[in-house]
Amino acid sequence: MKAVIHKIVSINHQDCFGKSNVWENLIPIQAGSAVVAPDYKEYIPAASLRRFSPVLRMSLTAAQSLKTDEAFDSISVGTSLGCLKDTEKFLQTFIQATGDTLSPTAFIQSTHNTIAGAISMALGNHAYNMTHTQNSLSFETALIDGAICLNDGKKNVLVGAADEAIDFLEQLKEEMIQTALPLTSGTTFLVLKPEGEGRKIIDCQIRFSCTDLDSEIAHFLEKNNVDPDQLALVLQSNNLSLTLGKQQINYEQFTGLYYTSSAFALHLANDFQKHSDDFVLIVNNQMNGKLGLTLIG
Amino acid sequence: MDIFVTGIGAISCIGMNVEEHLSSLVQEKSGIKKGERPFSTRFLVGEIPLTNEAIVAKYNLVADYSRTSLLGCIAASEAFANHKRDKRIRTGLISGTSVGGMDISEVEYKSYLNLGQHNIQKYKAHSSGNSSEEIAAFLGIGDFVNTISTACSSAANAIMMGARMIQQGVLDRVVVGGTDALTEFTISGFRSLMIFDDQWCRPFDETRKGLNLGEGAGYIVLESQASIDKSGAKKLAKLKGWSNASDAYHQTASSPNGYGATLSIQEALKVAKLQPSDIDYINAHGTATPNNDLSESQAIINVFGDQIPAFSSTKAFTGHTLAAAGGIEAVISVLAIQNNTLFANLNHSHVIEETKLQPVVRTTKVDKIRNVLSNSFGFGGNNSTVIFGEV
Repeated sequence: MKAVIHKIVSINHQDCFGKSNVWENLIPIQAGSAVVAPDYKEYIPAASLRRFSPVLRMSLTAAQSLKTDEAFDSISVGTSLGCLKDTEKFLQTFIQATGDTLSPTAFIQSTHNTIAGAISMALGNHAYNMTHTQNSLSFETALIDGAICLNDGKKNVLVGAADEAIDFLEQLKEEMIQTALPLTSGTTFLVLKPEGEGRKIIDCQIRFSCTDLDSEIAHFLEKNNVDPDQLALVLQSNNLSLTLGKQQINYEQFTGLYYTSSAFALHLANDFQKHSDDFVLIVNNQMNGKLGLTLIG
Repeated sequence: MDIFVTGIGAISCIGMNVEEHLSSLVQEKSGIKKGERPFSTRFLVGEIPLTNEAIVAKYNLVADYSRTSLLGCIAASEAFANHKRDKRIRTGLISGTSVGGMDISEVEYKSYLNLGQHNIQKYKAHSSGNSSEEIAAFLGIGDFVNTISTACSSAANAIMMGARMIQQGVLDRVVVGGTDALTEFTISGFRSLMIFDDQWCRPFDETRKGLNLGEGAGYIVLESQASIDKSGAKKLAKLKGWSNASDAYHQTASSPNGYGATLSIQEALKVAKLQPSDIDYINAHGTATPNNDLSESQAIINVFGDQIPAFSSTKAFTGHTLAAAGGIEAVISVLAIQNNTLFANLNHSHVIEETKLQPVVRTTKVDKIRNVLSNSFGFGGNNSTVIFGEV
């Protein structure tokens, strides 16, 4: 994998959008916290803004903030649960309908690729446009796609992830979503280039039905010729308590729970000791057995 | 690098397997009729005439899977069942779906809204990613699983993603395609857009009014030569070209000049290193909505000029199976090559005035089909093209 992170932005429950280093204002997420929203009007026309759901506003703003005169030659987005608010809204629309006509807006905006599609339309972009959804590994699959785009010869690749919490999810807590974390929303977008200044994504790998975490990690590091002692930081999830590397931080304390939060872990990795080339490993084990490993150097 | 198709599997209203599909296509027998489920009785749809319980019993599947997963398991295992399992062959599953487990969650959510009670465990089936993980587990595939969700182009994009992963040496073999069950959610959604025809749909016909929805799944197995050396699988066709481009025009409508579709077809030809004249048959997206068929006709004219290959939409057989369409139509494209047969564009009687393009109206045996181009276009202006060729 030869991908250099040219730029990266996030919008989530941290005050981080537009900040030069996301570590500066980082606070643990408490229950009841909200998305720190930038002024969306700067990025989205008022008429569209009214019909756009939170996840669409956040992700479109994040993507738009990365645009330059050089058009993106591919766009890959990962989302675990997609546009949940519009999905629920359209369920209510047709279940509670009394007449024969239904408003189509929520349906139109309920598909997972509403986000990537809206980005292409806002940017007038005609390039490759992909949406991946793979539970807690949705961001990783989009990132792998972005890296493949670079290998295909593309030069200016947009990769992103977005997920939103809706009130209904609270009902699923305990019985279906077992977590002590608050359910949150977040988006991260990044521009990847084949070369240039910036942190490199050395490898990203996903595994299903993973039973032996330690040996998977050891094998992954070995494959990339990195000794565990060379890891300056390990960003881990799901209350893991790995001991490898110089420092270990559980990134979910800063993201709360949404299933593409490993994208924000990549943002944290990017901004960590920003001008060094120390290795950082992201261990996404949010859902048991589903393992995403991303190595940054 | 050559990429070969070594397995095909399909399920839709015209057949429970590939053989039945071929038979229906040859006999020009559509599977679209009046719906038989509570939410579909008012519509003409392409329903698979088995309840989930009957499917589970017949195919020995897991009872609490969504219908999307169940259909996917059937078609994907038809494509992959006889393939050698070999640890040295890195094998993945890339599957498209737009509704995932909505067929289950919409029932629970309705009960929650109307009666204030629901079975929370049932929502476990909702996530689109789960359907692919379940299909992969059913096939015994664990190296890589990826779900693509780009509405009606999902399966075509899964095929493209799989091809690129083989080409770059990330995988040796990959089962690709898509699956979507008919749900009240999608029926209501397309009703809200007012693009249903209350008659049989008429792709590329001047009198077309809209689409008939369908359900199903279609998968193909892609392999590199190195993988075939180990698996010994039989080569059925080549996957030669692929492309995805954005129309960037409207969230649900296609541009009148077919710009995104034109880009997609042109780029797929380039990847395949083929000239337009090398294409002997186009299996069009052809949903029979006024907008799609005009835009797609324009794109075909933009690329092929006055040398338009034989073309048809087979959606009047299957209905529009959304995220599965590109998978089922990939299987149909391979069947066209294997049998040197052009499949009928049913219900066609009047060419579209503006474009005058004449589709193939009868299933026709021809001397040779070298290459087939298949289009799939989705919401969000997501346009995809794949090209299959003879081995």
